[in-house]
Amino acid sequence: MIVTPSAIVRLVLITIFTVVIETAGVSGVRVLGGNADLIPLVVGAVALWSGCIAGAAVGFASGLLLDMLLGQQVGASSLVLTPIGYMVGRYGEQNEPSHGLLPIPVAAATTTVSLAGMAIVSFLLAFDAHLSIYAFRDMFVTILLNSALALPMFWLIRRILRPVLKVDPVRRKRRASPIESGPIGLRGLEV
Amino acid sequence: MYDKKVVRRRRAVLGVLVALSIALLTIYFGESASGGLHDFSRGAQAAFSPLEKGVSLAFKPIRNFANWTGDVFHAKKENKELKKEVQQLRGQVAQNQTAQRDAAQLGALLNIPGRGAFMTGYTPVTARVIERSPTVWYSSWVINKGSNDGIRVNEPVIAAGGLAGKISSTTGGTARVTLITDESSSVSAEVMPDGSAGLVEPQVGNPDDLLLDFVQKDANIQPHQTVLTSGFTSGRGDSLFPRSIPIGTVKRVDPSEVALYQHVHIQPYVDFRKVDYVQVMTGREAEQRAQVAP
Repeated sequence: MIVTPSAIVRLVLITIFTVVIETAGVSGVRVLGGNADLIPLVVGAVALWSGCIAGAAVGFASGLLLDMLLGQQVGASSLVLTPIGYMVGRYGEQNEPSHGLLPIPVAAATTTVSLAGMAIVSFLLAFDAHLSIYAFRDMFVTILLNSALALPMFWLIRRILRPVLKVDPVRRKRRASPIESGPIGLRGLEV
Repeated sequence: MYDKKVVRRRRAVLGVLVALSIALLTIYFGESASGGLHDFSRGAQAAFSPLEKGVSLAFKPIRNFANWTGDVFHAKKENKELKKEVQQLRGQVAQNQTAQRDAAQLGALLNIPGRGAFMTGYTPVTARVIERSPTVWYSSWVINKGSNDGIRVNEPVIAAGGLAGKISSTTGGTARVTLITDESSSVSAEVMPDGSAGLVEPQVGNPDDLLLDFVQKDANIQPHQTVLTSGFTSGRGDSLFPRSIPIGTVKRVDPSEVALYQHVHIQPYVDFRKVDYVQVMTGREAEQRAQVAP
């Protein structure tokens, strides 16, 4: 990712809109007893397309904003989402994220790690209640919904970030087809 | 490959952000509710609240649709569960009502007026009616006790209220009861308190109306007088019922200028359409029964 004012503005706007839409909109839409969680999805998408530093930064910022808007312990969500953004970014940097269905496992993984991480942080901080089995059901539904939303969300984030990316990770795969050669392997001797 | 500088830089970014998160968390926990970070958090909430309200409003139709869909599924599931529960409760209600009805009938069997007198020397065998005549004649029942239980032919059968009939045939496990409403039935009876005697015969097709025939014309019979078995045998019907089993109450008397006898209409005590339990008076031979006249 090319660090320009435009890139930073895009990342800031993605972060703000994701957190606001999640807290004010999506969290109230109950499907199958659970709801989607856009934040790990977007952090994963930004990290996959833009790299580990942008991923970690968006993870940190979205966690911070989420905690502040919800009046939670400030820093708790950041602590979980920052490493997620970093790890997904590193994965994207080390492997070409060009497969069309890659967003689905990435979304499932980021959501799972995010939910597990938040559970661990909550337990470590001040959780003092009995955990219902329905909490696990809700987590499972969230993972499913996020996996279902992965393709359009990753596509949308890529569209937003494409102008500031060094290389479009999906187009990188589509190289020109090799030039045909003749029967003895020399170009120009086609029969 | 990345050079070491790049690697160091990105690790530093991660380290700084994680450290910052932990620091914020520590500060947030350490400070009071009026601390700087709490204030900043509240400020952020206030600043973003208009945007959140707008987003919330925009998402309202989606939220409503999703919730409505969820409610429909939930309602379907709930409906199914409630139907199942209603079925169970219906079963329970039916059981309770049956038990209540059985208890009432068994209680009524034990509380027949004068039971102590006419039951002397008999052993009651309680049985359940398992089969009824499906015709309008209401003439016979089958009960679930038979000769294996000591039931013999011609033994009297009482039901809630009073006399019901007599045993006309038996098998090992069942017995047929010929009711006093059967066209072949005839029971010698007397009207209390003056003791005017007659024969109770059925009005076929109307189990709520029996006819006391052969009552002397000069006998003073009034409505609401009680009719009991007399313990006599009649030439026609071999009435072998012991004395003083209640049969019914006088409804009305048909005076006739030309006939020698009065026709007395009796409302039987037993409701023949609703009987579930009866008692067979077992244990006495026919000859002994005929002699019972306390």
